[in-house]
Amino acid sequence: MTATTATAPVTPTEANGYHLNFARILRSEWIKFTSLRSTVWVAVVTVGVMVGFSFLMGFGMTQIAQGGGGMEEAGFGGTGTVIGTSVASFGYYFGQIVVAVLGVLIVTGEYSTGQIKSTLTAVPTRLPVLAAKGAIVAITSFVLGAVGVAIAVLVTTPMLSTYDLQVDLSDSASLQSLLGVPLYMTAIALFAFAIGTLMRHAAAGIATVLGMLLLLPILGSIQIQWIQDIAPYLPGAAGERIIIGEQLGAVLTPWQGFGVLMIWVVAALAAAAVLLRRRDA
Amino acid sequence: MIEAHGLTKKYGDKVAVNDISFTVNPGRVTGFLGPNGAGKSTTMRMIVGLDRPTHGSVTVNGKPYVQHRAPLREVGALLEAKAVHSGRSATNHLRGLAATHGIAKARVHEVIDMTGLAAVAGKRVGGFSLGMGQRLGIAAAMLGDPRTLILDEPVNGLDPEGVKWVRTMVRYLADEGRTVFLSSHLMSEMAITADELIVIGRGRIITTGAVQDVIDAVTKSSVRVRSPQAEDLVARLQGADVTVTSLEPSLLKVDGLSAEQIGEAAAAGGFVLHELTPMRASLEEAYMTLTADDVEYHSHGAGEETAPAVVAETEGANR
Ligand SMILES: Nc1ncnc2c1ncn2[C@@H]1O[C@H](COP(=O)(O)OP(=O)(O)OP(=O)(O)O)[C@@H](O)[C@H]1O
Ligand SMILES: [Mg+2]
Repeated sequence: MTATTATAPVTPTEANGYHLNFARILRSEWIKFTSLRSTVWVAVVTVGVMVGFSFLMGFGMTQIAQGGGGMEEAGFGGTGTVIGTSVASFGYYFGQIVVAVLGVLIVTGEYSTGQIKSTLTAVPTRLPVLAAKGAIVAITSFVLGAVGVAIAVLVTTPMLSTYDLQVDLSDSASLQSLLGVPLYMTAIALFAFAIGTLMRHAAAGIATVLGMLLLLPILGSIQIQWIQDIAPYLPGAAGERIIIGEQLGAVLTPWQGFGVLMIWVVAALAAAAVLLRRRDA
Repeated sequence: MIEAHGLTKKYGDKVAVNDISFTVNPGRVTGFLGPNGAGKSTTMRMIVGLDRPTHGSVTVNGKPYVQHRAPLREVGALLEAKAVHSGRSATNHLRGLAATHGIAKARVHEVIDMTGLAAVAGKRVGGFSLGMGQRLGIAAAMLGDPRTLILDEPVNGLDPEGVKWVRTMVRYLADEGRTVFLSSHLMSEMAITADELIVIGRGRIITTGAVQDVIDAVTKSSVRVRSPQAEDLVARLQGADVTVTSLEPSLLKVDGLSAEQIGEAAAAGGFVLHELTPMRASLEEAYMTLTADDVEYHSHGAGEETAPAVVAETEGANR
């Protein structure tokens, strides 16, 4: 042990260009994201449920139309494109569940396995990891939502056009609703991602997010005034306005509703950022 | 170089690390030794910024770890718990880490080969054995060719070949001028691997220094003397700092005199000696002595009441 003498200092840091930057961290998160099998499943399931439920809905519509029933009697008012749009965008309700779970798992999966310790040792400033993961969640959800709704349009148009109920892509309200699907799904996935980062536990995160999206709206139908007052501002109800479109008696316009959802998203992400910085890994 | 100043970590009311200051120098293998729950892992997590100190600070190569532009080039850390997503392959795990710093793919394959993982690199980490997981942790630590290595119980779960490999590796890295800081609760392991020791118990530093100095400071050497005239010899050996214990009718254990002194005293008095053996307390004993008051989790149960009054001693240190 006395034979040990300090030799020349080891290669100076950064001599070979190895250092952190955001593009590299983003690339790292992308490698991590794409190297998990569950990623492929999420993609397949999201698009699958969106298209599947639109197809069922479209089939139901043709049955009603075929039964000689006017759409009005069946409770579906409006022109053909309104019906075509609601059919094609219907899958958002199920798609949101999958991307919400994705948003929670992309971060809680790191906590449950201990991976987070490796991740935050490599990027000790931590916030770039949040930003990179958030970007991946957002891009993935947007693309899946857009692909899902586009395929839904393609799949449902032939059967709906028989009754002249297909989407009219030259109609700006219809386009806004269809574009609303990936926008809404992106916002919900980011919200779920923020909740996952706050809770650091998959089951708790998923229960919280799905509870807010699926359960609260049901409670929101309780005829108590203060509940009625806040119900339109819940993340799901507010965000859906962009997909549903102009509606008589709605408290929020489509873009106002989406704005309210984005406020939820930004607030949750801000809280996640603060706690990610402050807490022990 | 790692420098800690007044480092303290509390988890609620529990003080895991209590106001410790130390320096880990480059070119040496520094052992961080202490019983279970002493605060070794907590200290190491604070060094790499995973846990935030309640008080005090710690720097690596002059700066807090978080302020380095290329953290993986400064520190390679193998932490206690598994730190890999079980659904990913070893290669993809390392690729992901390497990408944060723009580290070339070739380096990923280099560390895979270096740690003997080539055969399983494409397999999901979830199926790895403890030792394979440990090798992957070491591969990740080596990825950035770091100036400082922090290894929390690196030989945990490794087979004898792996243990030897880790020893050789840390020696080589230290000789290259790197800082190597590794923890263990096994004194014998440290004695073989480390140059310097930082001994910790209940969150406080008990002692620091070169391995041999630490051992010498706590071990009193004793001498075993066998003589048919043992009883008469006892009177001859009595002195201020000398304790003589009779182990058997003709066997004595003498503390406080060297074998030479006893031999000369015996010759002067005309005593016949059948044995004169210098004894050194074992490393484990030295360690027990050091941490006796600082062990947090005592074992209770079988054999405790009847613990042997005379601890078996081995000849010389286990070096
Ligand atoms: N996250 C935590 N929350 C609460 N207490 C903790 C936490 N981490 C560690 N502790 C406590 O702090 C003390 C020090 O733990 P630490 O893991 O640092 O010990 P160690 O020296 O690494 O022990 P071992 O040899 O068993 O690995 C222990 O009493 C432990 O229970
Ligand atoms: Mg430990």
